[in-house]
Amino acid sequence: MEQDLAEGKIIRSHKQNTSEKWMFLTPMINSCKLHLTTVKSLVPARAQAMSESQDHVKETFNHCDIENSLHAGIQKRVVQELFASDKCTYNQKVLLSGAAVSNAAYKARHTARRQTQCTGETFGHALKNAKPAGDFPGCNNSAVPGFLSTQLPYTSSFQRIDLERQSLEECPQLDFVKELQFLNLQHNLITKIQNLSHLQQLVLLNLHDNHISDMAGIEVLRSLKILILGKNRIHEICCLDSLSKLNMLDLHDNQICRIENVSHLSELRVLNLAGNNISKMENLQGLDSLTELNLGQNCISVVTEVDRLPLLQRLFLSCNNITSFDQLACLGESCSLSELTLDGNPVALETWYKQAVLRCVLHLRQLDMKRITDEDRRMAGVQARKEEEKKKESHKQTIHKEKRRLAIRNAAQQWEGVRACLELPSTNGAKEEVSPENSPAHSPAQTNGLTQEPSPDEPRRVSPGSGPERPSGGTEIRLQTNSRPNSPRDPNHLAELDGDTLRLFGLGALEALERGWGVQTAGAVTVITFRYINFDAIVPTLPRIRVKFPNLSHMIFLETNISRLPQLAALAQVRRLDQLTIHPDGNPVVSLTLWRSFVIYRLHHFNLQRINGQEVTMNDVIAAERVFGTLGHIAATETPRCRLLLLLEESRKRQLQFLLEGRGRRAGLSPEELRDNGKLLGEGLSRALFNYPSRDCSAESPEEGSVESSERATMVEQYLQELVQSASDTNLKGEALHKLWPSMFAEMVRDCVLEMRDQATFRQASLAKLSETK
Amino acid sequence: MNRLNPTVPADQYLADSNVLFYLNDAVIQLLEHKEEYNQFGVIRYFAEYFSSVKNSNHVLFREFNYIQATPHNRASFIRVFWKCYRQIGKSGDLLSMLEYRSLLQLLCPDFPVVLVQSAARIAVMDDTIDCLMSFSDFLYAFQLQFYYQEFLDCVLVIYQDLLAGKSPNTVIVPTSTSIEQIPSVSTEENNKEERPQDGVEPSTLVQCIDALCDRSKHSHPPRSCMREILNQTDRISYYSFLMSLAKQEAINQTIGVLPSKAELLIDPEMDQELDKL
Repeated sequence: MEQDLAEGKIIRSHKQNTSEKWMFLTPMINSCKLHLTTVKSLVPARAQAMSESQDHVKETFNHCDIENSLHAGIQKRVVQELFASDKCTYNQKVLLSGAAVSNAAYKARHTARRQTQCTGETFGHALKNAKPAGDFPGCNNSAVPGFLSTQLPYTSSFQRIDLERQSLEECPQLDFVKELQFLNLQHNLITKIQNLSHLQQLVLLNLHDNHISDMAGIEVLRSLKILILGKNRIHEICCLDSLSKLNMLDLHDNQICRIENVSHLSELRVLNLAGNNISKMENLQGLDSLTELNLGQNCISVVTEVDRLPLLQRLFLSCNNITSFDQLACLGESCSLSELTLDGNPVALETWYKQAVLRCVLHLRQLDMKRITDEDRRMAGVQARKEEEKKKESHKQTIHKEKRRLAIRNAAQQWEGVRACLELPSTNGAKEEVSPENSPAHSPAQTNGLTQEPSPDEPRRVSPGSGPERPSGGTEIRLQTNSRPNSPRDPNHLAELDGDTLRLFGLGALEALERGWGVQTAGAVTVITFRYINFDAIVPTLPRIRVKFPNLSHMIFLETNISRLPQLAALAQVRRLDQLTIHPDGNPVVSLTLWRSFVIYRLHHFNLQRINGQEVTMNDVIAAERVFGTLGHIAATETPRCRLLLLLEESRKRQLQFLLEGRGRRAGLSPEELRDNGKLLGEGLSRALFNYPSRDCSAESPEEGSVESSERATMVEQYLQELVQSASDTNLKGEALHKLWPSMFAEMVRDCVLEMRDQATFRQASLAKLSETK
Repeated sequence: MNRLNPTVPADQYLADSNVLFYLNDAVIQLLEHKEEYNQFGVIRYFAEYFSSVKNSNHVLFREFNYIQATPHNRASFIRVFWKCYRQIGKSGDLLSMLEYRSLLQLLCPDFPVVLVQSAARIAVMDDTIDCLMSFSDFLYAFQLQFYYQEFLDCVLVIYQDLLAGKSPNTVIVPTSTSIEQIPSVSTEENNKEERPQDGVEPSTLVQCIDALCDRSKHSHPPRSCMREILNQTDRISYYSFLMSLAKQEAINQTIGVLPSKAELLIDPEMDQELDKL
């Protein structure tokens, strides 16, 4: 169509000129009629381009009165420059019309089809346009119909020959026109380039639409500036070694697979390789003058070597196989590129295609034949910034991920260490009870710190919808902190909030529970996972967990060293739970057959729905009751009440005390009364008795406590010794009295009898005693 | 014991009856939990304390040192253990040593695992300690081990001396430090001894044990029972001896807290109580 267009333009220009030259041109009208009509139909579609080129037309008319109708920019300029210097007086436009470097092969095809309609015309038509124009208005008689190509009487004085559509099968012998500059052989059947060696002044050779399969023979034309070999059967680019003046090379619609042998063409400005089988942009170095490169309709998937073309302004890559922006990255390295086509590539279907390209090639003025507006640029800028932020974000995320991984690994390693020293004593058969030194509170982990007082809001990072790997998209709070920020050591614990799940790795992470949690954030937490933390260290935090996270419904313990049933009782302090998961890894308790029953029994009031993912059925509850019911019953009914007071937690204790108050301070209890204990306090009591002492309180001051208790013990012992002493003394005295009493009594009786033997004397003596006392 | 009986001096009486021990503990408890017991009433506290001692439920949830302090406490604890977990025996579940440990620790939070291990060893004849055992096997083994703990430790030392060919007369009553080493030593010894596949001459062992009983101030199983067992075989190993002891009904009666094996799982009174719940 370009071609048509060009021709159309010529015609239009003729029309424009008619005001001045109508007379001279009349003979031409006939020959041009056909063109005129066909072109007319195309005019509307090309209105814009037309008007553009019309401007040109005027310009060129003013300039040299020869219409140069190449459709746009550089081609025109190239030609202008070329022929201005050659004192071009001929109407090159027609010659070039075939050569008009079309950017789209289908246009060319279209032309071809149209042109087949013209085959009925005489071959003289080929030279129809070889009319002198402008400065040589009188010399236009060369366009004589019936003029044979073999007899060219005037050709010796012509610098150009036009043999279009002559069904020539080989290049004609043109030795006699040595000064020939322009040779048009398009639309023939030529298979070989030959018979041209004498045309040393040939500047333009148009072999468009022939059957040439080999470029051999072209090498003799040293002064050639424009070579048009479009629509042939050429397989490889070659034989151009001596054509160093080449300005324009058109090889579109051939079967070329590789770009090669062009590096020396330092004056080449236009290279058209559209419609070939080129898959790689290569060997482009040395093309220092190249301003236009057409690689449309090939199979290029990656843009490369653009940076080697310092003057490249237009790059056509329509209909290739470019799929991603990454493959376009090279475009960014060109600082001269101003026009680009990428339509027909998969990448052009991307949502942000335009913006992405603009971001890549900032100075682009035209993309896919559309002018770039300021708005486009602005959008691209915004997009670029967004992209940048995204990148930073993802970078941050990867850093965080890495940190997280490290922290978890460290916690795991440390855990292994702790476990090893926990297991060591028990395998030795020595006391299994963990001594305070072995307990995690004193493990090496602790030395790493918890010195830093983290501000509660500091590591808060909100990432809404931050990508596929976090579909929950909730807020994520990283509380991961190295205890000593400046220490070279890696963090050995991690606490992270992911949606509704709070995960704690390593002992230090427990600290996170103590932080000032926002009401909303804490309310969102429904699952807490513990890993690599000794359960005994977790126990003290349990009551606080319930207060802090009111909606907590699921607790997961992984590698927390829960080994005994009593430990499970500590979970009662959480007060409410729907699910409990104690992973077999690192929790020996799970290997006990009774653990599930015990959990169900002890945490009966939780009404647990699931344990380790398995639903708790009514049967489970009954079975658990059967196994542990007796224990609970005995515990509740037979434990002395004074002992109960000590065992129960605060609220129940008060309840019990109140009950006891009501019965008054009576000493002694019948067994029946004792038995009533359980009933009085409700069923919960029996379970409440199984508590697991948290190390918190026992660790308060074991040293002091023992000193105090030993002091107390000696004191008590002394006191009891004294008591026993006095008791046994009393006992001795009693026994002695018991022994003496019979004789004493006998003596007393005898004394009395003796005294009362003389009744008169006794009476007198008694009376005297009485009167004396008065 | 009649307090007027002049043959028993007061100190002797106090020592035998452990009254001082309970008094001591009661007062210490009182001092430690002044606040609670003041409110509760001191007299009432003492009354309840001693009635619970009499009823054998004073050991519930007490520390291990208290539980093992007197034979009465030990017997009480064995009885409580039986009463509480009878249902497990009823269900016929076989449990591991670790499981029994957990059960014991529910009643006595600081119950040492070593003792459970020893009991388990008796129950399974020193096989791999991890294997499962029935409730009754474990209960009787545990009774023997827990009630006669010190005596058994001494027997083990004698036994090992006999194995090594040493004169058992030089036996020293093990101190508390040696007790801790015994389990590991015994396992080693027994591993070595597996190959000769025999124990010691029962007659010598009887003599030594007799001598030990004379010397020992700790309680020991009735001599007649031990003799009976030792007379039955030509050679006997430590754990088979203990196993037989554990199964002796006479010993069970001597301790007097557990029903005989046949009636072990029957406790109509408690069943009634449970039915009420």
